[in-house]
Amino acid sequence: MTPSLDSYVMLSAALFAIGFLGVLVRRNTLVIYMCLELMLVAATLALVAFSRFNGTEDGDVFVFFILTVAAAEVAVGLAIIVALFRARQTVQVDQLDSLKH
Amino acid sequence: MSPLSTALLVLLAPLASAVLIALFLRTRGTAASVVSVAAASFVALGALVLAFGGERFTSSLEWFRLGSFAIELGVKFDDLAALMLSIVGVVGLCVHVFSLGYMHDDSAKARFFGGLSIFMFSMIGIVLADNLFMMFIFWELVGFSSYFLINHYCHKQSAADASKKAFIVNRVGDFGFVLGIILCYWKNGTVNLTELGAGHALVYSRLVPLLLFCGAVGKSAQLPLQVWLPDAMEGPTPVSALIHAATMVAAGIYMLCRIHVLMVPPAMTVIAWVGTLTALYSALCAVTQRDIKKVLAYSTLSQLGYMVAAFGLGSVSASMFHLTTHAFFKALLFLGSGSVIVGCHHEQDIFRMGGLRARMPVTFWTFTVAVAAIAGLPGLAGFFSKDAILVLAFGSNKAVFAVLALTAVLTAFYMLRLWKIVFLGSARSEEAGHAHESGVSITAPLVLLAVLSVAGGYTAIYHGAFNGVFSGVPEAEGLTHYFVLATSLTVLLLGAGLALAFYATDGKDALEERAPGAFGFLVALRASFDGAYDYYVAKIQQRVAMALNFLDLVVLSGVLIRGFSGAVEILGFGVRTLHTGRINHYVYWFLGGVVLLWAFAAGIL
Repeated sequence: MTPSLDSYVMLSAALFAIGFLGVLVRRNTLVIYMCLELMLVAATLALVAFSRFNGTEDGDVFVFFILTVAAAEVAVGLAIIVALFRARQTVQVDQLDSLKH
Repeated sequence: MSPLSTALLVLLAPLASAVLIALFLRTRGTAASVVSVAAASFVALGALVLAFGGERFTSSLEWFRLGSFAIELGVKFDDLAALMLSIVGVVGLCVHVFSLGYMHDDSAKARFFGGLSIFMFSMIGIVLADNLFMMFIFWELVGFSSYFLINHYCHKQSAADASKKAFIVNRVGDFGFVLGIILCYWKNGTVNLTELGAGHALVYSRLVPLLLFCGAVGKSAQLPLQVWLPDAMEGPTPVSALIHAATMVAAGIYMLCRIHVLMVPPAMTVIAWVGTLTALYSALCAVTQRDIKKVLAYSTLSQLGYMVAAFGLGSVSASMFHLTTHAFFKALLFLGSGSVIVGCHHEQDIFRMGGLRARMPVTFWTFTVAVAAIAGLPGLAGFFSKDAILVLAFGSNKAVFAVLALTAVLTAFYMLRLWKIVFLGSARSEEAGHAHESGVSITAPLVLLAVLSVAGGYTAIYHGAFNGVFSGVPEAEGLTHYFVLATSLTVLLLGAGLALAFYATDGKDALEERAPGAFGFLVALRASFDGAYDYYVAKIQQRVAMALNFLDLVVLSGVLIRGFSGAVEILGFGVRTLHTGRINHYVYWFLGGVVLLWAFAAGIL
């Protein structure tokens, strides 16, 4: 038997929650970044599932765009983190508090 | 030289003198006095040449324009202005010459003569002005210069207070005046006197003349703004003569006569009664005064009341006629009192004088002429003008007539009282015993004014120059004539006889001795207005001001302004603690936002 739509949506929600929790509690910028990607993937999974169960292409089109954007985002985001590390010698968010100080 | 340029020179000569004195002659009193007297002589000469030259003209030019509203400067020289200008010129010259002697040893002589010049300039400006705006400018200048002159002995607290009082009380009246000018402009579209007079389609209203009358109430010291005038006696005596005879107080009457085309009957009735009551009230006050100048001050008030009443009863002519004769004999009275004061080494209490008849003969005889004139002795100037007013009152309002006749009794009474106590009997103080006549600069103006006080009542001496004004002086015929004449004579004999019989020359006020009740009543009556104003200022105005101050401090700055800023401050303090600078703290906000959005989407909110 094939899994139902609910299973997909719950998996997607679980993945999103894990990603969000990671963003909330982790201190390393790189890990936070990975968690963000996880949240993005969770959304992609839900869209693919909807597309499959509805028999339409709309969700798949969204997924292509998300993957494209995510690729570009990775390139930019990782470059920013590298530049940040060069400038500050750290990627721990606790120490990156120049917004306030 | 054209009449217009003569008029402008007459206007500007005193200004030039004042500027010259203010800029270069501040420390050179003698030079300043010469310049000022020269300017006054020029004014007197120019005024007489203009008045008797027969030319009457108007001329104006635009000063500035705001849209359709233009302010003009101009000269309107008709018979009324000619008469007033002559009075100001002649009396002003007498006062200037008198001041040469009176202020001879004053330490601030230059300032004094500069003040006289700026005063003359302001007054001539009022006389010549052809529209109410221009008149108002000079009106305020008169207010300023009177402040300046009354405050001449500025080291004396009383003089400083008196000048402030004069200034402030006048501002109260002027506020009404300026409202009246604005209202007049609004209703009629012009405040040019020629245009108002020349059959312009006037919009009559009760408010306009009454508001304009407010200005006259302040300047001419009518009830209830009369309080500044007696106090203004703190100024040097020549200033009193100038202010209270020919210029400042006359300006109010003159202004009324200028705007008589705007008058409506109800306003005239109010004006007539204000004048009548002022006349009576001041005459009652004068009876108890000990200071020679204060007696004259109250008599000025009383005579101004006559003029205002005459105007209110509808006769510009009678009003101006009395103004003319009054200018002569009142200037004479003031200058005479100045001569007495100089002679007695600055003693002003009449009960410390006495016996001056033999020691100061010129002053005595000229003063006697003035007293007779103001009391209304037939044949002298005051008789004719007062008679004209009584005839007018008899014909139009019997109640006013009765009050004015009673006032005339009082006038004769207090003037004869003054005259007897000052000049008859024997000297009652060291100073009076050593009194002596002063030099020619003091006696010459007295003699000239005495001649005018006698002759001023015969309109023939003006050679018809002021016919535009004097042709309307009321004259009684038949029975009325005899009745009014009989009244005048009875009044004179009654007042004078009572005073001569009642007062002894023993240094005591007979009224105070024999009728302390009546005396106390009159003193209280005199003090009533000052008391009422004191009460108003101290108890009401001050408290309102305190309440407003409280509102300002507590409600406005405290609650509203300080409260708002405090609320924002507290809010800022709270929000500041949320601003940690840590990215993961902000993510919680993001979470909060998502929850809110979800709740909204789910229909919970």
